[in-house]
Amino acid sequence: MTPLVVAENLSKHFPARRMFGRGRPVQAVSGVSLTVGRGEAVGLVGESGSGKSTIGRLMLGLLEPSAGRVVIDGTDLGATDADSLRRLRRRMQLVFQDPYSSLDPRRTVGAQIADGLAIHRIVPSGERRARVEALLARVGMTPAHADRYPHEFSGGQRQRVGIARALATGPEFLVADEPVSALDVSVQAQVLALLADLRRRLGLAMLFISHDLPVVRSICDRTVVLYLGRIMEEGPAGEVFERPRHPYTKALLSASPTLDPARRRRRILLPGDPPSPADPPSGCVFRTRCPWVAPVCAGAAPPLRELAAGHFVACVRADALGPVPDAPNGSVSQQ
Amino acid sequence: MQRLRPGPVVAVGTIAFLALLVPLFGLDNPLHMDIAHRLAQPTLAHPLGQDAYGRDVLARLLWGARVSLAVASSSSALACLVGTALGLAGGFLRGPVEFLALRGMDVVLCFPPLLLALLVVTLLGPGAPTLIPLLAVLYLPGFVRVVYAGVLSVRTQDYVEAMRSLGAGRLRIMLGTILPNVGGPVLVQFSIAAASAVVLESGLSFLGLGVVPPAPSWGLMIGEARATMMQAPLLLLWPCLALSVTILALNALCDALRDAVDPHGITRRRRHGGLLDRLAPGLLPAPGAALELAGLTIAIDTPSGPIHPVRDVSLRVMPHETLALVGESGSGKSLTGLATMGLLPPIARVAGGAAWIEGRDVLRLDEAALRRLRGATVAMIFQDPLSSLNPVQRIATQIGEAVQAHARSPAKATWRRAVELLRHVGIPDPERRAHNFPHEMSGGMRQRAMIAMAIANQPRLLIADEPTTALDVTIQAQVLELLAALRRESGMALIFITHSLPVVAEIADRVAVMYAGEIVEQGRVAEVFARPLHPYTAALLASVPREDGSLAEAIPGTVPPPYALPPGCAFAPRCRFARADCSSGTLALTEVMAERLTRCRRWSDLA
Repeated sequence: MTPLVVAENLSKHFPARRMFGRGRPVQAVSGVSLTVGRGEAVGLVGESGSGKSTIGRLMLGLLEPSAGRVVIDGTDLGATDADSLRRLRRRMQLVFQDPYSSLDPRRTVGAQIADGLAIHRIVPSGERRARVEALLARVGMTPAHADRYPHEFSGGQRQRVGIARALATGPEFLVADEPVSALDVSVQAQVLALLADLRRRLGLAMLFISHDLPVVRSICDRTVVLYLGRIMEEGPAGEVFERPRHPYTKALLSASPTLDPARRRRRILLPGDPPSPADPPSGCVFRTRCPWVAPVCAGAAPPLRELAAGHFVACVRADALGPVPDAPNGSVSQQ
Repeated sequence: MQRLRPGPVVAVGTIAFLALLVPLFGLDNPLHMDIAHRLAQPTLAHPLGQDAYGRDVLARLLWGARVSLAVASSSSALACLVGTALGLAGGFLRGPVEFLALRGMDVVLCFPPLLLALLVVTLLGPGAPTLIPLLAVLYLPGFVRVVYAGVLSVRTQDYVEAMRSLGAGRLRIMLGTILPNVGGPVLVQFSIAAASAVVLESGLSFLGLGVVPPAPSWGLMIGEARATMMQAPLLLLWPCLALSVTILALNALCDALRDAVDPHGITRRRRHGGLLDRLAPGLLPAPGAALELAGLTIAIDTPSGPIHPVRDVSLRVMPHETLALVGESGSGKSLTGLATMGLLPPIARVAGGAAWIEGRDVLRLDEAALRRLRGATVAMIFQDPLSSLNPVQRIATQIGEAVQAHARSPAKATWRRAVELLRHVGIPDPERRAHNFPHEMSGGMRQRAMIAMAIANQPRLLIADEPTTALDVTIQAQVLELLAALRRESGMALIFITHSLPVVAEIADRVAVMYAGEIVEQGRVAEVFARPLHPYTAALLASVPREDGSLAEAIPGTVPPPYALPPGCAFAPRCRFARADCSSGTLALTEVMAERLTRCRRWSDLA
């Protein structure tokens, strides 16, 4: 069976505006190919500037790619006219990171959940109220909440409303852009449990964008690790988490704080900041911070290679990475 | 929608009512002259007297209101309608529409309003039909600009993107989503335009360019009264009074409208019950403690009585020690940190307790003494370095100011010290970086610069309020490492305020867990995390994302807001272990084992 969503060789460049003339374009996404199967949850992991949100919007057709294409269930988003694209939106939805800015402060949450129903004329206006209440119930809220305004809710409740709004049109594909990172831990767990449950019951395909590896692992089937707009590693979630093969994934995992002292790995401290996406390094974009860097890395950009079944890594040295070398790039700069 | 305040509505309603129904009052014909009684004093038949032509002043005032208000309201309504449409289309559709709308308004703005009025009136002749479109054009740019600016800030909001993602058309987004969100400023603009249109109409009529005599208008009346000001000063008073009252009422109405359409005014607040007096400061501070808090309680006065977002917080931090203050949003952890620095926002005040920094009671120090303390003995860093740094000053200058604040030194030496500090916090190439402005640095670099400022005077206590929350994981690791290294070498005490338990596990020696304004558990990190003695700590630990791929356990419900705290234990409604007696009485933070404090009656059930 073909995957529900196929992104082929996506690139997105944003023109940089300067006071005089044009600067170098920002290469937010470069040559990313990605699939999401029906009912599958794919995690998109990366730090700020890795292009993960841009990819999410490209895959929903909210941004137009500079190169490459997105095909949803056989329909090329770039080749359809505006009207069919709007009809197609019914089948794919977005859940936002910020539960505060993603709801219209001037309208009741019930009215906002009903928007999707009205736009696509899914139910006659007389039955909308009942459908809104059913949607609220589905995300664990009560019918009376429909008449309240967003500011009367806590962050977690607002995120539930955002999810109900996305579910109103009965989508098959959901892009969740950091849906829990603005929430407190205890609430975060509530929303994650809700998303996992909805996915199971409705068979939703999901692109789950996050910077938090444990969160991605708990909810996704597959994980894609991004750095500077390029895929570094891709594979089954547990596999990437337990046996990371790319130096960046290894560093990312070792840097994320953990409760469990037994699991506390030797921390790989990456020196400095990620390079500017307007001026990425030649060859492997991670080489300027990579502890295992070798002269060969400055050459051609490493292609994604399949090292194990379904486990792809874009590193020429992935087969031969020993223990963390003693910082050829200098570890923490103040030592 | 919120209820409209009745006062302004009644005022404007009365004025409009008088103006509309004036033909029914049976007043004199405002044009009827009676030269015999020119400038007559008020009588029963003419309550406000008669003017220079013997016309009834009251009748002219009320008929004049009709003209003045009609011109003002229709011209500002016209400007509002057209301006909002242009601003909305220009801001949302961009491209040529934007160019036409904005540049068109620039052209209108190029003409001085009075000159434009003179020109138009000279060409088209005076009278109300000329005045209305003229005033509308004059007020148009204001509306376009206000709406355009509003649209630009609203159009990038996620909820607009959400509408696009739902497949909504452009018209629906413009009218249904964007327009209501820029409505507030438009109403304010409308009140300004309507009020100034009344004034401008009067002014133009006064100059003979507006309403044509003998038709009554307030401006004409003022003009005519001026000629006989010495004989009958009251004639000047009435139209001026009418003008002022009308403008005030219009402004009040628009303010009330703006408040009424803003849903933020609506909050369903319950009054909380009487709070216990918790003003029992501890005894004397422990010797040698870098910071000691005893029963710190913070109050915020609200219209329905004071609320207490921080209650009875007691803790102690020794030199060389890192204490993590951990809690969810609204737990009061940041307020506690700010109170310690004497930096509470103006609405909050300390309602009880004491805070000693190296034995000095900071809550009772005056502002000058506090300033000497801040930076020198105790320093603070915040979550968002970009908003905490001055955007128009070079980084070394700002660090230099921190140095200068406590010890004067020549400018050259200060700069050198700043560069040295930048190197100390691990900023590469500090000589060059010293010249950078904050926006030229990355988030991690800015946080390092903030830390450099904070340690400039070797404080003995550093309060770090979520210093790594806004940073990426790999950068967070760098900053945590830096803070740990600084503490090791200087021996300062560190209070680390955070919501992340894994970060606590990485950096802190001891932890104080806060819930709904209270410390519920305190102890050494390893012991607390291995064997929590408060159900909230246990639940919080269970809700941290797991590393084995299973879903974390959520805590049902939400944190109670400080104005609706449950009686007894604040966590009881969400607690798995709660019994009936948990929801009554008061609970104290009790040392139940060596160096283990908990605020729970059932701690032994957890153990």
